[in-house]
Amino acid sequence: MKETLMGNDAIAWGLIHADVDMVSGYPGTPSSEILGMVQKIKTKLKLPVYAEWATNEKVGFEVAYAGAIAGKRTAATMKQVGLNVASDALMSAAYIGNTGGFLLIAADDPGFHSSQTEQDSRVFAKFARIPVLDPSTPQDAYDMTRYGVELSERFQTPVMMRPVMRVCHAREIIEMEAETDFHAREGRFVRNIPRWAAVPRAGRLEQGYEALDRIEAISAYNWEEHLKPQFDALEGKSDVLILASGTGFAFARETMEELGVEADLVKVEMPYPLPVEEIRKRFENYESVLVVEEPYPCVEEQVMDPAKVHGRLDKTMNRIDEMKKEHILEAFKKLGLYEGENVYAPKLSFSIDVPPRPPALCPGCPHRDIYYAIMKVFKKNKSIYPSDIGCYTLALSQGAIDTILCMGASVSMASGLSIADPSKTVVATIGDGTFFHSGIPPLINAVYQGHRFILVILDNSTIAMTGRQVTPERFNQTLDIGRIVEGMGVKCYEHTYSHEMHKNIDFFKGIKNIYESEEHRGPLVVRVRQFCILDNERKDDWVPGEYAVVDPELCVACDQCTTVYKCPPMAYNDEGKIEIDPFLCAGCGGCLEIICPTDAFKLDEEKSGGGK
Amino acid sequence: MKYQTVIAGFGGQGVVFLVKVLALCAGNRELKFLGTENHGMSQRGGAVSCDIKIGDFSNPVIDRGQADLLIGLDANEALRNLPLLKEGGHVVSNAQEPFPEGLPFHVHTIDANARALAGEFPIQGLNVFMLGVTLATVPDFPFSIEEIETALRQINAKVADQNIEVLHHAIADAKGIEN
Repeated sequence: MKETLMGNDAIAWGLIHADVDMVSGYPGTPSSEILGMVQKIKTKLKLPVYAEWATNEKVGFEVAYAGAIAGKRTAATMKQVGLNVASDALMSAAYIGNTGGFLLIAADDPGFHSSQTEQDSRVFAKFARIPVLDPSTPQDAYDMTRYGVELSERFQTPVMMRPVMRVCHAREIIEMEAETDFHAREGRFVRNIPRWAAVPRAGRLEQGYEALDRIEAISAYNWEEHLKPQFDALEGKSDVLILASGTGFAFARETMEELGVEADLVKVEMPYPLPVEEIRKRFENYESVLVVEEPYPCVEEQVMDPAKVHGRLDKTMNRIDEMKKEHILEAFKKLGLYEGENVYAPKLSFSIDVPPRPPALCPGCPHRDIYYAIMKVFKKNKSIYPSDIGCYTLALSQGAIDTILCMGASVSMASGLSIADPSKTVVATIGDGTFFHSGIPPLINAVYQGHRFILVILDNSTIAMTGRQVTPERFNQTLDIGRIVEGMGVKCYEHTYSHEMHKNIDFFKGIKNIYESEEHRGPLVVRVRQFCILDNERKDDWVPGEYAVVDPELCVACDQCTTVYKCPPMAYNDEGKIEIDPFLCAGCGGCLEIICPTDAFKLDEEKSGGGK
Repeated sequence: MKYQTVIAGFGGQGVVFLVKVLALCAGNRELKFLGTENHGMSQRGGAVSCDIKIGDFSNPVIDRGQADLLIGLDANEALRNLPLLKEGGHVVSNAQEPFPEGLPFHVHTIDANARALAGEFPIQGLNVFMLGVTLATVPDFPFSIEEIETALRQINAKVADQNIEVLHHAIADAKGIEN
């Protein structure tokens, strides 16, 4: 059956068609749609499938992995930096193995489109000594998902599939099973203490040998099944051999076609473990070898022969950032495969200056107002503002954030900064999703050691940035952030976001007074109840429908709104006055007081219908 | 046939919706295609562009100097993506001011914002409006009005009639513009 699908949807269908009935994970671009799609298929076809978001990637990995040691076919989904969080579990699972198929899907983001690092999960698979599959298209992703589950079951090891963003978010017509004949494996945990509870030293050492034997066997299998047939079919078209993994294959093939380059091309479907000796033997027929892959030189490092192999390490290809066909063209030129013009040069003879459009908080987003209030009260020069991973990271543009490291680090860095620079007030911000993910252990740490900082939990009751996945508290309201904080013996100060700015500012003034009072010890925790402007279930209860217009007589072009408040509809017009883009204004009313020093923002009575 | 289209705008304008419409059109005719989305971290307001390559391609990204068509839902986003166009390619953009002179492309601009403000169509239909302008101005655009209509019905039957109305409004409005 042919079906137009996005890569992540194709992966979800692949899981269902591989009889996977337990899927867990944590949202993260570009992986987020996989689990959501499994949930949709489950509902649509009424399948007995467990598909739920975990509190973080480590938890998600472990839930799914446990299913696989009980004989079920299972999968865990996450983005590449999420794999860092799950890595502790992965490293041990690689020793212990599994009985049912277990597919770890770690989606990479070459080009840093929405990730803080460009790390390569294939290299992580190599580090953990588990096989990894690298799809080049959504069709590959569907096929390899099914294949990966089978491979995992056959060799009793976790298998990773590593799609990159250009696979996850690509769309094409997929050839897939027409019928879903779903047969979940029966889950039956068979006690095997030496295996499932292996301890150092003897137990784990033995498993270490087994893992090495497994990876050797898979390497031989990789040669026989994937690589040898391709090498045997090569025609010796060129002195240069091209080895390409995942999207590298797609980019290389297309570049060759467009430039009319004839060369021997091998698609590396399983970039680890590679049968290195067998591959190197085949190098003898060539003068040089070009490896095309991203983002790290994973295949290149394995097959390395400094006399022959070129790629990222010797800068024949780009060293960092997303691959472009232009990079491959340049590499072809260096290796003598191509001598023509750069067809990928822009056809414009002059450059056009376009103002940048940096990522911004949505119009109507309450984060903007809360950060504005925090900055107004705690001041730029007197405080340090560690923050965290989520939509609110975009308050960077308001100058309201000083540090970003990784999920949950706002809290622990607030501890560290408060120790290192006690002359400043440390005001940390974290979202509710991130607090549940990894903000709780560092807060316990801060409470027990009595660190002095203010932690503001921005609770919009959704994991907004990745597409509004459900948070634990939203799903089950007994999980109350306030009660979690109070369980640590610390008062949780509550505030409810208001579109009347003075209420937010007054609240934080009160917090500042409490924090500076002699009685206060240790961290001060605030939970601000908010909403997400894109959350259709909740936003109507919050947004007053108060649209703003600018009184041009009052606007003195002072830049306050465009630099400190930073709401996207506000921009200068040809007369040098601020104007509000009526198509963008969300009617939140947040700018109607305090933001403008001359009170130029007025209620648009006609559009607002007098407000709600 | 090989035909590469870039659709550019900012978050909330319905760029991804348009790429889905074109994907459906290609799928209905059993044409091979590959599409992809380029967006950063913002949900609303950040730059968004989508590539869709119809024909026998193996990677979904459109490189510089390659696109046959650029549809801009916003003038600045269209200008930002101009390097992707091939010589003699078409750019169809919502724009409040004319594009620079001397571009090596066929340029079709229309002030869709002003028309939406005047109540000619709801701003939520901007994406479909610009698709209508494309149908009216780009001779080698690979899909017919009927094919677009079919895809609009497939993608969301509930609002298909409104969308098709906007489409036809745009086609009538845009006949003959070229600057």
